[in-house]
Amino acid sequence: MTSTEAGTTVSITRQPNAAAGRAAPKGRRRGPRRPPGLPWILPAFIFVVGFVYYCIGYTGYISTLNWDGVSPNPQHVGWANYVQLFHDPVFWDTIRHTVLFFVVTFTVQTAIGFTFAALLHSKVKLANLYKVIIFVPVVLAPATMAPIFRQIFSATGQFNTILGDIGLGSLEHPWLAQSSTALPVIMAITIWEWTGVTFILYFAAMTQIDKEIVEAARIDGANGLRVLTRIVWPSVRGTTIALAMLSVIGALKTFDVPYLVTLGGPNYATEFLGTFIYRVSIPQAEVGYGAALSIMLLILSLAGALAFGLRGMRRN
Amino acid sequence: MRKSPNLRRRRRVIPAISIASFLAFVLAACGGGSTSGGAGSATSANITWWGWTPTTQVAEQYIKAFNVKYPNIHVTYKMLTIAGYNAALRPALASTVGPDVFDVAPGGANGSVETYSPDAVNLAPAVEKALGSDWQSKLSPIGVSSLMIGQKLAAVSVGAVYSGTVWINENLFSQYHLSPPTTLAQWTSDCATFKAHGIGCFVQGVGQTAFNEDTLQAISDNIQPGVWAKAIQGQVPWTSPVIVKALTIWKEMFSDGIMEKGALGVQQYPDANNDFMSGKYAMVMMGTWYMQYDTQAGMSAAISAAGVASPKNFTALPIAFPDVAGTGHTGALYGDSDYGLAVNAKSSNQAAATTFAVWLGTSTAGQEQVANALDDIAALKGIEPNWSNISLVNSGTQQAALSKLITNAVSSSEPRLGTVTPNLQLAIGVASTTVASGSATPAQAAAALQAAAAKMPNHGAV
Amino acid sequence: MFETMRLRSKIILQVILTIMVLPFLFPLIAMVQESLAGQGWDNYKVVWDTGVVPQFFRNSAIIAAGVIIIVYCLTMLAAFGFSKLHIRGREIYFWMMLAALTLPEVVLLTPLFSTAIHLGLYNTYFAVMLPLAALQIPFAVLLTRNFVNGIPDELFDAARVDGANAVTIFWRIILPLTRPIAAAIVILTLIGAWNDYLLPLVFLQTPATQTITLLPSFFVSEFSDDQTKVVASAVITAIPEIIAYLCLQRLFERGLTAGALK
Repeated sequence: MTSTEAGTTVSITRQPNAAAGRAAPKGRRRGPRRPPGLPWILPAFIFVVGFVYYCIGYTGYISTLNWDGVSPNPQHVGWANYVQLFHDPVFWDTIRHTVLFFVVTFTVQTAIGFTFAALLHSKVKLANLYKVIIFVPVVLAPATMAPIFRQIFSATGQFNTILGDIGLGSLEHPWLAQSSTALPVIMAITIWEWTGVTFILYFAAMTQIDKEIVEAARIDGANGLRVLTRIVWPSVRGTTIALAMLSVIGALKTFDVPYLVTLGGPNYATEFLGTFIYRVSIPQAEVGYGAALSIMLLILSLAGALAFGLRGMRRN
Repeated sequence: MRKSPNLRRRRRVIPAISIASFLAFVLAACGGGSTSGGAGSATSANITWWGWTPTTQVAEQYIKAFNVKYPNIHVTYKMLTIAGYNAALRPALASTVGPDVFDVAPGGANGSVETYSPDAVNLAPAVEKALGSDWQSKLSPIGVSSLMIGQKLAAVSVGAVYSGTVWINENLFSQYHLSPPTTLAQWTSDCATFKAHGIGCFVQGVGQTAFNEDTLQAISDNIQPGVWAKAIQGQVPWTSPVIVKALTIWKEMFSDGIMEKGALGVQQYPDANNDFMSGKYAMVMMGTWYMQYDTQAGMSAAISAAGVASPKNFTALPIAFPDVAGTGHTGALYGDSDYGLAVNAKSSNQAAATTFAVWLGTSTAGQEQVANALDDIAALKGIEPNWSNISLVNSGTQQAALSKLITNAVSSSEPRLGTVTPNLQLAIGVASTTVASGSATPAQAAAALQAAAAKMPNHGAV
Repeated sequence: MFETMRLRSKIILQVILTIMVLPFLFPLIAMVQESLAGQGWDNYKVVWDTGVVPQFFRNSAIIAAGVIIIVYCLTMLAAFGFSKLHIRGREIYFWMMLAALTLPEVVLLTPLFSTAIHLGLYNTYFAVMLPLAALQIPFAVLLTRNFVNGIPDELFDAARVDGANAVTIFWRIILPLTRPIAAAIVILTLIGAWNDYLLPLVFLQTPATQTITLLPSFFVSEFSDDQTKVVASAVITAIPEIIAYLCLQRLFERGLTAGALK
């Protein structure tokens, strides 16, 4: 750890802070004044905003209409769609489901993804095989896996069969047919599908951790668990915050799994804002109401992401 | 504090972006004015046809037969998925590069004729030209009425499908010496026998609520014919004792063990369909479109699609919905046009597109093609499948049964989904699943359905 | 991360890993079984015999490559800007970009369709490539910015003292050091572009431009749904993505920060 260069020594002791992912803007900076960043971000910014903000504006306009998306004479109704939204019990159901869904899936995915990343950063055999198995679900389109999952979780499906085989037969249920168990199944499928993303992001973040610090801690007597919680977990905080923000947005937008596996049922038990918007916009052709719901989704996503993002910034 | 150059620059960027987006939006919105299409030649053109049905293979057969009469009209068929049809069609019709011919169907599901009729040309004059002034009597009434919006014939029906039948795996029934059930009690006991031998009895994808509507309509027609159709029109409230009794019997199907376990989590396609085809269940409620599985080729394709390695064809037969209420009213069939061909009002090949649409829906040659495919019942009266060219699994029993089914269907005028808007369909679906899951009694579900329908324009009828 | 000198630790780690991975493996096995059900390997043959698979692969590859290039370039520039350079009100720009992530695709279809028609892009690769890139960039910027935050400031200060300007710093420091996150971004963007279904369905009209995600639709019709072929198509679709993932594996491994200081 000793080095003749003062700069290096300074860097090593500073590193945990840096790895913690400072995102807050600094006040007076030491060192040379930073070059202007605006030209660097403008290409991305204009590209994204140019494409998407037109759509947002369009959706906002449509949300003030009573329209089926095709006929040439939409009816202007101002805020009526938003009023309807607040009184719609299905809308509040979707919010409830989304919150529950987010909490469970984010927690479990983070725990599993983080653990996998830590485990696979150690020397284990067949590492590539494990990496592929965890990651393949991310690659598979939900549309193809949905009937397979319906089969696995059906009353006579493989999941119940396995439960019976390992002696937990009393836990057998018609998983997808009951409102109480359908949502957990959707959560389980989502976790299966997306943990791979959490994994590779944590894996990439862990590459920034200086191995020497880990070694030093281990020499000092820390066991694996302590290394994980005291060194590794804080170091990847930035990734965790980023994942939280993306999970909030993803949870609100989630469409494929609940739509394809349970069609939002039974009896709206697995209805999410994404599936609700689809159902309202396409088969029911109430495009104005769907647009209002979409704007609401946008507001909620930003609020949720801000909540995590700001917390992340404040801590630093 | 002095305003720094950066702050001034920022102040300019954000409004600039908003203006840019707004301009783009205005440009797009204003520029989207519809140009109405042109007629073009009636016998020579390249036209495009979009639909969710038939399959590409069947469509190619139709087009080939069409080209025998009209060799200079080239038709390109693009098959879209059912799930993606509306999402893809809507923007296409709003543009100037949409299809010349496109599928529409009655009711509120896919390609709803009501939604798309403003984009379609009135085909009544062309049909009259083809069939004469008494054209309405030459076509199956269901096909015409379900695609007529006001005075406009928005599309020419290609064929119809009817529901109300239950299909059985005859081999399984003979194996256990059972006869197809005709009463609720017999149905229950047949199911008990099957279960004792480890075979599933009746499978339905209760999670996909559109098919529950068929079952409820069958039960209701059994209790008292005609009430269901009136309830849709709002002439009879959904809280009528007939409907409540229908929901009660529906519930009994679950508690008596007729419905399979976990039915609420099953979807009709692909789950229930595959379960029947793979021989795991002996009965399924499907309509006349199942006739296509009585052919050797159709059935073995379906069985291997269900995941069975060496398909062994079995005899699938239609039976009338059992007399569950004990009233003696059985054999009700209700249907609509399966799909019709509409001509895009913005098409620049309207004449050729009309030629094709009218040919498929009204000419003997076209309709014979449709009848022989066995998934739709021909829209033109008097067309029967050409049995000698069709290789059935068990022609001894099946040909007579299918012939009879077709004859009965064609003479029925009870609508199935054609008069139901998507919102009403959704509400009926909710009634079926709340009763099935036990979260509502039949009376409560009927009351909720009535309350929902009362809020809809025209009681939720088309 | 974990100590693996002793045999006992090695075994424990391996066992934990294996148990954790089993629930992930199981549905994959069910999927492969389904693709081989019915006609068995013939399912794959039938899918191949549709004749469009090479074409669809090519189209998907072109679109994915385009999206990846656009996303990678714009993201790296933007992440550097957001993380290490001076911007007044940079959080506002950042959150405005993030808002673009929140809308479900189905809502974007109609406005995008009008834009595509007016720009003459209908039935071209760009009609799919540009919206996909626009939708992926905020996500990529969020992750990359975070990663670049983790590169110590001292590295930049030292370089500036040595006389490097922003471009040199970008080229010499940022790009090499961000390989792990770049690999993650490339993979995730590839998956997002490769698997996208709705945009190709609406914007691409002919087999000459259509993508591999439209392959299953050959086997799903109004009254039949050939799951065995659909799943076989899905397996075929997934293989290039898995190969890409394996190839990029090396890049995930390199933690170069510590090395760069020396």
